[in-house]
Amino acid sequence: MKIALCSTFVPFLFGGARNIVDWLQTMLEQEGHHVERIYLPENDSPDLLFQQMAAFRWIDLSAADRVICFRPQSHLIQHPHKILWFIHHVRVFYDLYDSPYRGFPDDAKHRGIRDALVAADNVALREAKHVFTNSRVVSARLSKYNQVDSEVLYPPVFQAERFHCRGHSDEIVYVCRLEHHKRQHLLIEALALTTTPVRVRLCGSSAGPHYPNELNELITRLKLQQRVSMENRWVTEEEKVDYLADCLAAAYLPLDEDSYGYPSVEASHASKAILTTTDSGGVLELVSDGINGYVADPTPAALAAALDKLYRERATTIAMGARARARLDELNISWSHVLERLLA
Amino acid sequence: MKIVMFTPAVQVSAIGRMACLLTAALQAAGHTISIVRAETEQMLHETTHDFGAELVAWTEVARVRGLLAAADLVVHQIGDNYQLHQGCLEWLNEAPGIICLHDYFVGHLFCGWAQHRREEACTILEKWYGPNAAASFFQHPDSESFIEETHRSAPMTEWICAMGSAVITHSSWGIARVMDACPGPVRVVALPYSAPAAPVRHAASRDDMLRVLTVGHVNPNKRVASVIRAIGGSETLRAMTVYRLVGAIAPAVVVALSTLARNSQVNLLISDQVEAPTLIRALDEADVVICLRLPSLEAASASAIEALLYGKPVIVTDTNFYSEIPDDCVIKINPEDEVGALQRALAQLHADPVLRATLGERGQRWAQATFSADKYAAQLVAVGADAARARPVQQAMNALARTLGSWGGSSDMLGGAHTLGPLALFNNSNPD
Amino acid sequence: MKVLIVNNMAPFVWGGAEELAVNLEKNIIAAGHQAEVLRLPFQWEPAARIPSQMLMVRAMELINVDHVVALKFPAYLIRHPKKTLWLLHQYRQAYDLFDSAHTNLPFGAEGEQLRNVIRNADNESLRESRHVFTNSEVTRQRLVKYNGFDAEVLLPPVNDPALFAGGQMGDYIFAGGRINNMKRQALLVEAMRHAGPNTRLLIAGPPDSPGDAAELQAAVERADLGDRVRLDLRFLPRETYAEYVRGAAAVAYLPFDEDSLGYVTMEAALAGKALITTSDSGGILGLVKQHETGWVVEPDAKALADAMSAVFAQPRKTADYGQAARALWLHLGINWPATVERLLR
Repeated sequence: MKIALCSTFVPFLFGGARNIVDWLQTMLEQEGHHVERIYLPENDSPDLLFQQMAAFRWIDLSAADRVICFRPQSHLIQHPHKILWFIHHVRVFYDLYDSPYRGFPDDAKHRGIRDALVAADNVALREAKHVFTNSRVVSARLSKYNQVDSEVLYPPVFQAERFHCRGHSDEIVYVCRLEHHKRQHLLIEALALTTTPVRVRLCGSSAGPHYPNELNELITRLKLQQRVSMENRWVTEEEKVDYLADCLAAAYLPLDEDSYGYPSVEASHASKAILTTTDSGGVLELVSDGINGYVADPTPAALAAALDKLYRERATTIAMGARARARLDELNISWSHVLERLLA
Repeated sequence: MKIVMFTPAVQVSAIGRMACLLTAALQAAGHTISIVRAETEQMLHETTHDFGAELVAWTEVARVRGLLAAADLVVHQIGDNYQLHQGCLEWLNEAPGIICLHDYFVGHLFCGWAQHRREEACTILEKWYGPNAAASFFQHPDSESFIEETHRSAPMTEWICAMGSAVITHSSWGIARVMDACPGPVRVVALPYSAPAAPVRHAASRDDMLRVLTVGHVNPNKRVASVIRAIGGSETLRAMTVYRLVGAIAPAVVVALSTLARNSQVNLLISDQVEAPTLIRALDEADVVICLRLPSLEAASASAIEALLYGKPVIVTDTNFYSEIPDDCVIKINPEDEVGALQRALAQLHADPVLRATLGERGQRWAQATFSADKYAAQLVAVGADAARARPVQQAMNALARTLGSWGGSSDMLGGAHTLGPLALFNNSNPD
Repeated sequence: MKVLIVNNMAPFVWGGAEELAVNLEKNIIAAGHQAEVLRLPFQWEPAARIPSQMLMVRAMELINVDHVVALKFPAYLIRHPKKTLWLLHQYRQAYDLFDSAHTNLPFGAEGEQLRNVIRNADNESLRESRHVFTNSEVTRQRLVKYNGFDAEVLLPPVNDPALFAGGQMGDYIFAGGRINNMKRQALLVEAMRHAGPNTRLLIAGPPDSPGDAAELQAAVERADLGDRVRLDLRFLPRETYAEYVRGAAAVAYLPFDEDSLGYVTMEAALAGKALITTSDSGGILGLVKQHETGWVVEPDAKALADAMSAVFAQPRKTADYGQAARALWLHLGINWPATVERLLR
């Protein structure tokens, strides 16, 4: 089949929203399909939305048998067999409209833009033969704001067979970009309150030096230099596989994210338990407290208790890791499932 | 919401009165209103209605801009009178907003505006009405023939409606042209009106005389001559009727009508323009209000509504806005048999006081329910939201058209199936 | 610097321009910058769609980009304060191909309006770019003629020069490139009938259509040349193509009136191979100099046969021509670092 994968991007910014498209392309090509990948630029600025939306309506991909669209405004592309793997709305006009993240005034003009955007999305979404999302959180939003039903299709990680379990050290590993909303600082604050010798490893790049500096200062202030390994850089895939293979458990505690995040899936493939918090959002679709990890309150004290428990109750921790692996099958997080659903 | 309303504010303006009512209703609903006076500079010293809101003249550019910058909603009250609505026209380009269209025919407004813009005016005439429209439009010798010739072929409704982001009009008879021209939502909402004093139920007359009243600027389209002829054609009516005219009247017309009345042996009382208290008393005293229009140019008739709110039996021409009034609330005259039908109606009303009372009551109840300022205010706000929703798409289309235009592409090109077709999804999101 | 290369895309079609864009990206990164390729889908059929495609590109909003290098219409209509054009293609169907009636633009008022719109948009983009380069002298002349605009020629380098080193003088003449009527591989087959007995020919490349392949195969069969002509008609993996070039005695490339120097010619020269072409091959003559770097003959089977025979009759001369071709190519200084530097000025 000739399949076009369409999404929007900001040039030179890479990460989750691109991985899902790039990896899907590889998997489809492995199955023998012809894949064309289309990334188009997009700017969320309210006054520029509708001209861009018109532009997307003019894109002709009739050469493809099927078109799969990801990030807005790619869902506006017309095609007789349009499939959406919808990863998020233009959130400032949807769930973040009534939040400090809106970024523009709540006045008649912007309410008008919001109403027009929702109305246009309602039509565009309904043009699709099938609507998939990457999490229950996003599906709930599609239902609430657009009255559109969707099927959750969890994004798998690439070449998951690389991940394995080699043992369990005394280290909780958090492999993720060092950003404030990922809350590595919360984990450090928690470590200061632990009573066991459990350790923490943080690895990831960051947009700027500000947050990593903050973390370093925090580690120094709390005198945790001996118990925290911090690598402020993009770790290689091999390094990540190794860290996950050897760690006691993995941590992933971002603030209210839509999707469960690749780190939690990677940890699950490595059969490691996951430490997260009650307000992390999509991760909670993967992690259940006491089953395949711990879901603590987002306070240093609660996280400290969980960290100590992971260390002290080793057998439980190992068992939870095994269940983490099984949970992936329960949730059908696999490329074969993805291809089966997208090509149905 | 912060609302800026462009409107005539002087007391002689009935539209100004309506705007006042509307302002009060909007304020009661929690909005803040600023009024920009639209009357021509020479009238700015005259007394205004009491809006209970900030008043700014359209000529105070900086202040107006300041208000517009903070405004959530802009409204323009538009009627067929250049002296009263000049300010709206001066600001419509910079501040398009909801147009409250009081008159479908705005030929006089256009002429006033066109005075110093003849070339531009001719382009506009050609655009809407074809290459020959401009030639004849400015050639009419008098007001009568002007209205007669243009109200059907070149009413200028499109010209004004194309400038608004939305249009509210007060009846549906002339709406086709509005919808053709307005880029945004269009809605019909009953004109808000209230009687200036507590409406008085018709009290039994002190004598047997039938007091008949017609209010408003005495133009030929108000059919005063026909009323005089109708009264004059009946012995009873001649004896028992006093026909009073309250409203501005040209001296030549005074002479003509007085002569006709004398020759027809009709009691005609001409009061010219009066102050509000006098008008109220006249309405109070009247047994019947005659509100004829031929041709009918206004979207809705403030004087007819006012008479109904006063609980008076009203006689109207069976056309346009008046046809939309329920049959049991007014007496409708077939314009083909104007004098005859009038005579029969007046005779009936004179003979039957119960009929007068019943008609008045029913008309009053219907008018009170329909011409509610609160309802109008709510509809205005809703149309505002609709217009705000339509605006982003309009602006995007305008920007794309400008780009294509800068490359030498015609509007046909933007309207072509391949270009416009895929954009149909934005139509569904426009509440038209 | 963050450099965005902007090109068209016809979905599922990959050709020379796409290769160029990818190699440009690679070499911009090699020069120490960041680079990405933006490919904008372009549908020009029917012609009535073209305005919407132009508006689509013009409405695109770029953020996080320092410099744009755009290659084709309508991709180069994209807005950016630092835009450089490396014009591979205008919409020729509005210009020279319109004049020769090879166009999908309708004749009459509608077509005139479309041509006008395209020309005005082109002129606007030319004016708003900081530099405008074309990929050949022919393209540069068209820009002068139709848009009154004077651009600089920036010839595209060979994409992967290292592949063409270390060859030996072989026993066949190599004819590479796309197979179609304009490239005239059939003429070479015809010429073989008159050529000397130890003349060998290898024609290898992707046929534009099955019909083109069939025609060529039929020509070979008709000529009954046994194993002196070999056909390898398919999209060649790059390594295979390079091998064919490296192992040739000489390279023949005789398209009708080509715009540019021709990649086949450039790569052959880089590999130090003598060149054979015809007098009406257009831009190819930039590298093929009669009796200096190879042979330029009339587009005629007998004349070609003479040249082809000469390759094997005078191997030392052939070798000298090859060296001269390489020297000429290197002298032109067309390499990626220089190209990147000029584009990013």
